[in-house]
Amino acid sequence: MPGTPPRPSPVTEAPAEGSGRPERVFTGIGVSPGVAIGSIYRFATEQLIESRGPLASDAVPREVARFDQAVLTAEQDLLGIASIAREKLGEESASIFEAQALMVRDESLYDQVVACIQEDRVRAAEAVPVVLAVQRRRMEASPSLYLRERAGDLLDIQQRLLRHLNRRKLIGEIQPHTLIVAQSVTAADLMVLHRRKVLGCALDFGGATSHVAIIARSLGLPAVMGLGDLSAAVQGGETLILDGFEGTVIVHPTPETVQRYEHRQRRYRRLLEDQKRLIPLPPETLDGHTVHLRANLELEEELPLLHQYNAQGIGLYRTEIQFMMRGHLDPTEEQLYQTYRRVVEGAAPHEVTFRLLDLGGDKLMPMPHREANPFLGWRGVRILLDRPDLLALQLRALLRASAHGRLRILVPMVTQVAEVDRIRAVARLVRTELQEDGHPVAPQVPLGIMVEVPAVALMIDHFARAVDFLAIGTNDLTQYALAVDRGNDLVAGLFEDMHPAVLHLIVRTVDAGRRHAIPVSLCGQLASNPRATAVLVGLGLRELSAPPSYHPEIKRVIRSLNLPEAEALAQQVLVTEDTETMHEILDTWLDEHACGFRQIFEAQAPGPTSSPSA
Amino acid sequence: MVTREVRVLNRAGLHTRPAAMIVRVASKFDAEFFIEKDGYQINGKSIIGVMTLAAEQGAALQLTFEGTDEEAAAEAMVGLFDEGFGEAR
Repeated sequence: MPGTPPRPSPVTEAPAEGSGRPERVFTGIGVSPGVAIGSIYRFATEQLIESRGPLASDAVPREVARFDQAVLTAEQDLLGIASIAREKLGEESASIFEAQALMVRDESLYDQVVACIQEDRVRAAEAVPVVLAVQRRRMEASPSLYLRERAGDLLDIQQRLLRHLNRRKLIGEIQPHTLIVAQSVTAADLMVLHRRKVLGCALDFGGATSHVAIIARSLGLPAVMGLGDLSAAVQGGETLILDGFEGTVIVHPTPETVQRYEHRQRRYRRLLEDQKRLIPLPPETLDGHTVHLRANLELEEELPLLHQYNAQGIGLYRTEIQFMMRGHLDPTEEQLYQTYRRVVEGAAPHEVTFRLLDLGGDKLMPMPHREANPFLGWRGVRILLDRPDLLALQLRALLRASAHGRLRILVPMVTQVAEVDRIRAVARLVRTELQEDGHPVAPQVPLGIMVEVPAVALMIDHFARAVDFLAIGTNDLTQYALAVDRGNDLVAGLFEDMHPAVLHLIVRTVDAGRRHAIPVSLCGQLASNPRATAVLVGLGLRELSAPPSYHPEIKRVIRSLNLPEAEALAQQVLVTEDTETMHEILDTWLDEHACGFRQIFEAQAPGPTSSPSA
Repeated sequence: MVTREVRVLNRAGLHTRPAAMIVRVASKFDAEFFIEKDGYQINGKSIIGVMTLAAEQGAALQLTFEGTDEEAAAEAMVGLFDEGFGEAR
């Protein structure tokens, strides 16, 4: 979320590539909010150089020298990036870049590439991919998940070497105030690009949960991913509009479109200014009821956002990334403990809710693993209970961190009370072991479950008796209740997380929490949607957890309602028979309550859609 | 020539960090250094090579050192393996 939105570069009346070119809209996934307008910098890192026949023998020493230079520069780049990463992202990310530095100057890689140049008379830029492909295939065939994922490192260093060898413009030569268009960028690239003051980033690949997306959000750099063939469709220099809310980019916009988006940009800036006013204010309804606003986070580097947005602790700390980012499932207990401890201390005096590893089975199996129906398969707690080593490792780290601040443990994908009992039993065992080893552990560490399967919401009393708190996950709850896979384009339109059926499951959960006197929070995407806030408050929720940048708008809605009004609205929505009517009711309510976000988030439809991409 | 048999003791196996440690230590010595696992041999001064071993916890490796300081190199390397690279077991 940008603190101050970037300044656009001047846009001429007629778009750069001549006014004859038609406007083209590409639709992807908005992963980092903001509107940026500028000219395209085509960042081509992946292109292999086409063969130009064998080298002349007198060109061989020069080609070897070019390779030497590329290795040296790439190594220096990586060490430089490692030191930036250490400052901004912590030791873990830095060590990855340091290892990549060792890889670029790897002696067997070097010897093989030089042998290729000398014996086969090929250019270094052709030799590098050939040599690395052999190693990559070996790693990709490995039974170890870690090594398979490390093959990506080899691709990274290949691209880095090629970038130098191909004498393409390096990141350092990128003009400030341009928009980056690329197939993909690495997290490291993104940090350097940000320092070059680029305005935004539009990528062919990737999605909202990728590491690059998370970094883009942390840096406040507007970004759209999953754009399909955008990078192939542009040359560079064209005018581009990037809308990180809608997930659209527009190439060759007409002057009218530019004007419309400049207007949107100005509104967004005003909105951000206005949000600053809301940040220090308490999240209270007009009649004095507090709705706690907590943060969803997954990187310790995001901790400063808690203070920036005045969040009341962390309602959902996702723990997968530390396992996935390292490229293997074996971070040590000490590393996890240190991270969790820093998170708990960073959130003090507020509480942090850590969700135990919530993986899909495919990420864990040593061999390529296919399930006919992965969403109904080996996920969440089912994996944890089958992998006691993983569960004990994470529980040890969490319980040790509990000595340093307020911490709760949240179990994902529970469908049976017995699963809770088993997790509790392991936690007890781990606690005893830790105490015997002399580690301090907090006397009480609340254990709760995600309510994300309809069966749990329907039998909620059984679960409420067995746990210390409940957290509603609306994304999965909606998917399972409505039998809609959001990732399936054919039915994605049926995904509606405000569907009355979903709301009824939420009500059951909230009511059970009240009966059993345990806290209930809602941490799915619905919590980030200011359209839903009034209804959620009306249904009885008093704890919402959302990415911090969404807090001001949610708070705006909270501060503009009276509880009886919200309750009346919720009752009205609960009995609507179709979602269209429901949204009409919501729109009317929101308009009457003058909630500013509609102006920026909803009032501006994108221009004519001629996008060929999905 | 000096040869040694070692086992990978740390839980995570020879992932990036241990691989980097091996290469850094090996590079301090002049002796050539090779690691063999199940008949597959790699240059122990190559991080990419070490990573392609796919050596997980419990894997048995043969280390070979050849050069003037081969004894010292062997001792340093065996120490590294015995300590499990300072990681959890």
